[in-house]
Amino acid sequence: MKTFAFFWLSFLSFSFFAFAQTLSFTAIPDQDTSRLQQRFGKVANYLSNQLGVSVKYIPVKSYSASVNAFKNDQVQLAWFGGLSGVQARRGVPGSQAIAQGEEDQKFVTYFIAHASTGLQASDTFPEGIAGKTFTFGSKGSTSGRLMPEFFVRQHFKKSPRDVFKRVGFSGDHSKTIALVQAGSYQVGALNYKVWERELSEGKIDTKKIHVIWKTPTYVDYNWTVRGDADQKFGKGFISKLQNALTQMNDSELLNSFPRKRFIKADNSMYEPILKTAVDVGIIEK
Amino acid sequence: MTRTSLLFAGTAILCLFFADFEILTLNPWQELRRMAQGVLTPDFLAVYEIKVAFLNTITFAFCGIFLAILSGSILAFCFEFRPVRLFCAFIRAIHEIFWAIIFLPVVGLNSTCGILAIAIPYAGIFAKVFAEIRQESDQLPLKGLPPHSHPISKFFFGVFPVIYADLKHYSSYRLECGLRSSAILGFIGLPTLGFHLETAFREGTYSQAAAILFCFYLLIASLKYWVKEKAVLFYVVLSFIVISKEITFSWNNIIRFFTYEILPWPMRRAGVSDGSYSLEFAPGQVWAWIETVMMEEGFPGLWNTLILTQIVLVGTGVLTLMVFPLVSRHFQERWPRRISSYLLIVIRTTPEYILAYIFLQLWGPSMLPAILAIGLHNGAIISHLSGQNADLVRLKVDAPRKKVNLYFFEILPRVYGQFLAFLFYRWEVMMRESAILGILGLYTLGFYIDSAMSDDKMDKAILLIVITAMLNMGIDSTSQIVRRRLKISSKLATSS
Amino acid sequence: MFELDNVSVSYKDALALKDISIRIEEGEKVALIGPSGSGKTTLLYTLYELEKNYSAFVHQNYALVPQLSVFHNVYIGRLDNHKTAYNLLNLLKPQQKEVEQIVPILEALGMEVFLNKRVGTLSGGQQQRTAIARAIFRKSNIIFADEPVSSIDPHQAGAILELITQRKKTVILSLHAVDLALEFAERIVGLHFGHIVFDLPVSKVSDSLLSRLYQS
Repeated sequence: MKTFAFFWLSFLSFSFFAFAQTLSFTAIPDQDTSRLQQRFGKVANYLSNQLGVSVKYIPVKSYSASVNAFKNDQVQLAWFGGLSGVQARRGVPGSQAIAQGEEDQKFVTYFIAHASTGLQASDTFPEGIAGKTFTFGSKGSTSGRLMPEFFVRQHFKKSPRDVFKRVGFSGDHSKTIALVQAGSYQVGALNYKVWERELSEGKIDTKKIHVIWKTPTYVDYNWTVRGDADQKFGKGFISKLQNALTQMNDSELLNSFPRKRFIKADNSMYEPILKTAVDVGIIEK
Repeated sequence: MTRTSLLFAGTAILCLFFADFEILTLNPWQELRRMAQGVLTPDFLAVYEIKVAFLNTITFAFCGIFLAILSGSILAFCFEFRPVRLFCAFIRAIHEIFWAIIFLPVVGLNSTCGILAIAIPYAGIFAKVFAEIRQESDQLPLKGLPPHSHPISKFFFGVFPVIYADLKHYSSYRLECGLRSSAILGFIGLPTLGFHLETAFREGTYSQAAAILFCFYLLIASLKYWVKEKAVLFYVVLSFIVISKEITFSWNNIIRFFTYEILPWPMRRAGVSDGSYSLEFAPGQVWAWIETVMMEEGFPGLWNTLILTQIVLVGTGVLTLMVFPLVSRHFQERWPRRISSYLLIVIRTTPEYILAYIFLQLWGPSMLPAILAIGLHNGAIISHLSGQNADLVRLKVDAPRKKVNLYFFEILPRVYGQFLAFLFYRWEVMMRESAILGILGLYTLGFYIDSAMSDDKMDKAILLIVITAMLNMGIDSTSQIVRRRLKISSKLATSS
Repeated sequence: MFELDNVSVSYKDALALKDISIRIEEGEKVALIGPSGSGKTTLLYTLYELEKNYSAFVHQNYALVPQLSVFHNVYIGRLDNHKTAYNLLNLLKPQQKEVEQIVPILEALGMEVFLNKRVGTLSGGQQQRTAIARAIFRKSNIIFADEPVSSIDPHQAGAILELITQRKKTVILSLHAVDLALEFAERIVGLHFGHIVFDLPVSKVSDSLLSRLYQS
């Protein structure tokens, strides 16, 4: 029992050391998660050089894990989706969205379908998807869940489970493509950036799947930092961080996201996402 | 016994009408072929790259089981008290993945979360089994002790030495389970083997997945060579030192979680909208909130979980009755018997969560893969036990020669009682697994819990977890009643 | 010192002792004899209950801890004389002081070579000696022994009974070997079907009395 108490005491003292000013950040696992460490490790190096504090990347397996890591201060900075960013900022008063990708001002969800459905590309909402099997991405995704569910509800005035024959959650955008391509689901909805990247990498067999509808644009991904970062890392830290992000110009780093460049952002830009999430029922009012 | 069996079989058949067996994948065999290729070409270099995850899997298990044994032993002392018994039943009714889900927001995705997620449910299990071992132990040595000795002296001289071997045996079996739990915790993001296994399966790099799995089997198989009585404490100390760098503990988080986040939404609503984060007590609204959650998610989840559980229970039974002759000396020669029993060991060593994950990858999220996964895992365990049990039967000289007659007239009637006991003993385990597999996309309770987590609604997640635990406790006590009424004992089942 | 007055004891409706009255003074050496099932063990336990904190008891089935060594099993005799911490210390590592007191007792019983042996690995006779060693080691002037030499060679049994009667002031034995009872006890109590048939000094016990006890 004594040794036991001794251990706990030594952990506590150790953990004190671990807290020595390291900026930890995470990113939502929205696509292939292999080699995340390599990809974001480089981003950590870049930020560390720019900010003069040690920066560590913490990999997570789910959207909710990234939100929770942010809420309990395991990470102080995160690359969130629109929805996860709103959830995180609601959980941590004072936290701010400080940057977004240029593309995130006008983000789009693609609805894709397997060729066997006979569904064709159209400019208007594809009504033919009713009664098909349908997969979202992650339950916490903006482009893979929140926005497509919003448009489905808006159009059919019913919940997705009442509209479709079966509703699934693939987990991430890459998997959505794989599942629809394999025919496991007939229709799916995903982040357009992931679709276009995998298309250019030749991972998509366009004879089997194609885009049937592009949603209206909305605001999406963002870098969010905890409000107490200035207190922890020194005055002016948040604006230094904001500059470091928006001045990132190494295409190798930007490709990790993938974004052309980052621009400044603030919390108010994400009000529409909050409203949509409330409409859909993901966030309670 | 026959009547009970038929009753359960009938219920399961009824459940089949509500279950969904659709195979969603257009071409499941193609993926299966790629998996087989992966098994034949394991990429062991990948395992080297994730050596830290391997180490974490081991250290989490050692630390978690150590803490569980410690607190389980203490709880076992007060096991006569009903509140303690209920408390233990409650903590072990919650699957380790759900515990991890609860601790994730409190302590973060780290060793603390993993260790607590293992330590808590296992403490409940240890408390119960240790108390049972003590109750059933030889009482004679106690009679020889001076009547007025201090209770602690009495325990360490008259009880502990007597039950020590049983405690050790059971703990080492549980260490193996702990390693399985530790591995699967990676599937929800903790830094153990499951983390990389999930990635490998998700992205179809089956050579890596196979290599990781092979190494996991090796780890389990090698336990008996390096986990020796004298070395265990050393490993535990070493494990605590290894993880100590990562232990984080923030009272703010703990307080925020337990006094704010898990409170029902109507209590927090006003505070969130005006930014003051204050609480209000509104029993009427809280009740309405509970009602809504139950109607929309609780009851559908319970219904699907129960349906899956009942089908799996009977399915496992049928599978076991077909398979156990393969590992019994009455039906098989030595070598085929040995090969079948190795196969059973591999199947039961594979965590059911991983089996389910693989089958769901192959066939999509319907009940079929879930039934197969839980049925195979539990079937392998019960077949092994029933085979052992059948081998104890001594045949008379005039026993039938034909294997079919031997099976139905000599062996089955004698092993059936204990077989049923094993099966009912694992009933609540099957239910816990049925609930948890919802995380993979079936509409059992796990699905709704995972969704609540994703929507960042801890209050709802906790409510649903408590409901899952109550269902589990209900099934546990029903199983006890059934076993008692049938007068069947599953004594061997605890040492499985 | 001990007194029972019209006591009856029953187990599961079967009467084991009927209206027993007996009085035993300090320093007496008493042997209970009688055919099996006559109530010897029950009478022994009933008397033991009266003074159990100051008595030692050799159980018929030894009541040893098979997993512990002979040392520990003997040490148990004084478990209530020491602080818990000291007991636990002895459990982990036998203390010199205790070993020095236990070894002579084991020597007298021819058991000293088994000091560190696990009791479970010993023969029945050796286990019975261990149980006797425990009772002798116990700090008490009274010893109860239920068939204490049942598993021991007849020619060694006498020596062991002598040891017991030497070491303890008051001795109450149950014995099925009548000759041993007559040799080592001063007072013989004959029991039959839960009744005391006779209770006499050893000099007054006649052969005819004994044969009647075992025949009827």
